[in-house]
Amino acid sequence: MFRPHPLGAGETQILSRCCVSQVALKPAQNAAQPVARRQLSDATIVRLFILPTIILLILMNIFPLIYSLFISFTEYSVISDVPPVWVGLQNYQRILSDPTFWHSFAVTGRFALLSVALQTVVGFGLALLLRSKFTGSGLITTLILVPMMLSPIVVATFWKLIFNPSYGILNPLLGFTNINTSPEWLGDPNLALWAIVIVDVWMWSPFVMLLCLAGLSAIPDYLYEAASIDRANWWFQFRRITLPQVMPLLLIAVLFRTIEAFKQFDLVMGLTGGGPGDVTETVSVQLYQLAFQGQFNTGMSSALAYIVLVVIIAISNLYIRALNRARGG
Amino acid sequence: MTAAPLAPVNFSTRVDKVGAGPRIRTAVRAVVAVIITIIVLIPVVWMGMTAFKSHSIAVSVPPVVFFQPSLESFVSLLTQRRQLTADERADYAARTDLSWADQLMLQRGQVIIGESQFRTQLINSIIIAGISTVFSVGFAVLAAYAFSRFHIPGKDDLLFFILSQRMLPAVVVTIPIFLMYKELGLHDTHFGLILLYTSFNLSFAVWLLKGFIDEIPREYEEAALVDGYTRLQAFRKIVLPQATTGIAATTVFSLIFSWNEYAFALMLTSERARTAPPSIPLVLGVGTIEWATIAAGSLAFLIPVVIVTFVLRKHLLRGVTFGAIRKG
Amino acid sequence: MKKFSLLLALMAVLALMTGVSVRAQDVTELTIWWAEWDPANYLDQLVDDYTAETGITVNVVQTPWGSYFDRVAAEWAAQGTAFDMVVGDSQWIGQAVTQGHYIDLTEFMNSNGITETVTPATLQYYGEYPAGSGSYYAYPTEGDANGWAYRKDLFENADEMAAFEAAYGYPLAVPTTWAQLRDIAEFFTREDEGLYGVGIYTQIDYDAITMGFQNVFFSYGGDWYDETFNALGVANTPDTVAALELYRELYNFAPPGTNNAFFAEMNDLFINGQAAMIMNYFAFFPALANPSINPFSEQTGYFSMPEGPTGLRYAALGGQGTSVNNYISDERKQASLDFLLWFAQEDVQLKWAQLGGYTCNIAVLESDEFLAVAPFNAAFAETMTFVKDFSNIPEFGTLLEIVQRNLHAYVVGGEGDAAATMDAIAAEMDGVLVEAGYISE
Repeated sequence: MFRPHPLGAGETQILSRCCVSQVALKPAQNAAQPVARRQLSDATIVRLFILPTIILLILMNIFPLIYSLFISFTEYSVISDVPPVWVGLQNYQRILSDPTFWHSFAVTGRFALLSVALQTVVGFGLALLLRSKFTGSGLITTLILVPMMLSPIVVATFWKLIFNPSYGILNPLLGFTNINTSPEWLGDPNLALWAIVIVDVWMWSPFVMLLCLAGLSAIPDYLYEAASIDRANWWFQFRRITLPQVMPLLLIAVLFRTIEAFKQFDLVMGLTGGGPGDVTETVSVQLYQLAFQGQFNTGMSSALAYIVLVVIIAISNLYIRALNRARGG
Repeated sequence: MTAAPLAPVNFSTRVDKVGAGPRIRTAVRAVVAVIITIIVLIPVVWMGMTAFKSHSIAVSVPPVVFFQPSLESFVSLLTQRRQLTADERADYAARTDLSWADQLMLQRGQVIIGESQFRTQLINSIIIAGISTVFSVGFAVLAAYAFSRFHIPGKDDLLFFILSQRMLPAVVVTIPIFLMYKELGLHDTHFGLILLYTSFNLSFAVWLLKGFIDEIPREYEEAALVDGYTRLQAFRKIVLPQATTGIAATTVFSLIFSWNEYAFALMLTSERARTAPPSIPLVLGVGTIEWATIAAGSLAFLIPVVIVTFVLRKHLLRGVTFGAIRKG
Repeated sequence: MKKFSLLLALMAVLALMTGVSVRAQDVTELTIWWAEWDPANYLDQLVDDYTAETGITVNVVQTPWGSYFDRVAAEWAAQGTAFDMVVGDSQWIGQAVTQGHYIDLTEFMNSNGITETVTPATLQYYGEYPAGSGSYYAYPTEGDANGWAYRKDLFENADEMAAFEAAYGYPLAVPTTWAQLRDIAEFFTREDEGLYGVGIYTQIDYDAITMGFQNVFFSYGGDWYDETFNALGVANTPDTVAALELYRELYNFAPPGTNNAFFAEMNDLFINGQAAMIMNYFAFFPALANPSINPFSEQTGYFSMPEGPTGLRYAALGGQGTSVNNYISDERKQASLDFLLWFAQEDVQLKWAQLGGYTCNIAVLESDEFLAVAPFNAAFAETMTFVKDFSNIPEFGTLLEIVQRNLHAYVVGGEGDAAATMDAIAAEMDGVLVEAGYISE
């Protein structure tokens, strides 16, 4: 009996046994195969394939990275003609000892956690829903992707209108008819962060959905067939077949969404500007205030950016380790 | 020809064995999917409706669902206008050669003096986003294949370096890149933005495509190599077709990012290479935010991306196939 | 690596080419940067006259308000020459002057008598830095300040007038003090009918809530810091606390959903009939005078800021002045000055006002033609005589952020009380001023 288990190295053996013959047939059939052409060595190919990417990334990013790093150790404002003054770790010390920065880290962390968790659940759920093809599933998939296709600033602008208790449509749709008692989504300190989470989830769940869908549609049906013959229940099938197959792509999606959640700026700025007070002031809003908005404190903002970078690197490492484990198993 | 001796091939699709149970389940799924789609799209539909409203209706309390539609906002989007002074207005209104668009604008007290930048910006967006997507997906698929199939010294570090490109908040990177571009004369050039967007998208594209290519069993290429294919041929004929879903998905994501990018488009361009996103969101009219015009602009700007995604939808949903042989 | 050096060489050639082409020409065109709004469109129209006279094309390049300062500052950072003149916010002057981005216009304006042609308040706030020094760096171009629009039909309705007098003991009329404005706001707040007393600025993004509050703050005798840059005990006095409490009260009389409101929301509130009175910059009142935008345009009246309890009267300043870029060539600087000389003439300023620009020219402001152009011009002309600005020292950005955050937390977020808020503002401002060296500890 076929015992269902995740497609690992062992599984592919079976397939290749069945398919190698077909593949092997092809070159023989097309007799005029240019097999004798001079071949590029593997090493050359690797270099050729990777070089454009690496070169372009280095060209575009080396200068900003190094510039920002250097400036972060100085007291400097890019619009003044006073040259940078080296102050060592002073900017970093200032930031790490200032409670407002810790507050914004906390807000950002909470936002990232809530938003990515919800996006994952909703996105995965949608993918499970859409995996079986029915008439119009292609159209529906395209339509569900639409929120992701809008410019973030447009999304923020219109959701601001939608959240408005006076002339927005959300409250009436939720059943609140009296505008004076309906929730002030963006003005209530308890609701504001949730409002931003809702918009972020609305906008980016399709992203997670698409990647999960790609992973799900790669699972061969015979695995499920075999499992049901073995009388394995739904939960078992999900845990042992579905989840492991989808995990690599799901983790990539979650990794990138987490990185983006930490950097989220357009939605926060557009919806609440960091308010009320500083309830939704994420790190990116503070960064913007420091780097622009009249303060133009290039030194401090570079330092803050690097602190954020370190945090993101740490979290990404965790994900990548999980990703490698998922793929390796 | 499916003359495989092994049982698995007979289980290739469930369609053969559909009974009442699975069919009902599929129908239920379809209904739920439609309902969810409608809910998800309500804000977008609302935005679409707003595009056809005149300004005072757009901010009415309570919000209005049924109204007299008007193309006022679209005309406003596509033209440059100026306010008529009170004297001019009477003369202007008396003219008989006014087109329907002129009449619409006259209702607001405005006269059309020319075309707006929107069309040029839209074309710039198409050029810049299109070309940068092609390049980023192109470079990425090559790199992803290399990373997936070969042992490369320092691979993990290189991959992490590629990932780290997206980690530094854009706010901080804006000034150095702005200065760099000014120095190099890349400011306000199509090439400059294309370069920037390509490098931004590379990071995600490489990781995503590697994820897809990793799922394609190596055995296919190895069998092909044994049979005399070169590595490049194996790549082109075996791997690429199987990676179509990944390529389609990456193309869609890269396109969406480049299409909607705002901050750098604003800072690094002025007249020649300006794309649409910097000017759509905050159309300041005569002391109001022109919600209807913003909606019209956003709607118009959304359509090309929807079209591209719709065209690619079959590839997005196809998935990697194991064992099942394509028809034909 | 060969590819790399080739690319670099290519870039260098590109840079060289663009660099060479700009220098060799005579001045045939000028570029003015402004924000993206209607006055910039009016300027665009006006400069056609200059082209007709001199043959020099003038391009007015517009940037959305939200990113205007960022773009200009980025250009300053690169010491760029993308613009010859910039119509800058009054608050930028301190930074621009100390960092050398604007050229000194003192001699130009004095010798041509331009300083006499504009109101003293506008010259001081849009042009002068440091305060009281007599050095000018901008020509006052677009005067602006906060004013009020109100629903005349509600105010002049006989039943309303009777009810108001019965409730408050004095006739319903355009308020002359803040206490009266508060009463009228309360009177017209009828939630069940969807009518509210006022719309006030609350936006946290840049400077809106501070500007809105300043109207009350200054009129109650408040100042952010005194001549010795001392904020403690100056920004937080019993009077300023009372001012803040009044502003909070007004927020209670505003419609739901105005927690992050600026000029556009104000106009929207008025247009959809929710608010009986709204505060707004005069620059945005043309929308209310336009019948196709504002269904109440015929019944819309305008008045200036009311007085405080001691008779002081101030309006928060907006508006911009035109400055000349310090990084352009001398020829271009001269060409820009020639343009400004033309722009400052009385007949040009009159046409500027007729197109919709908010002139600062005294003669034009007093003329009958000006008053006839728009229904709010009378209030505008009056207001420009008692305007007052936020700080314009180079550190204004940091100071502004402090006030914005604290005000918003209290007024909109309801955190703490007025006294604690003003104390916090004063303390934080003090910290910044000490560190910047304005106060010697």
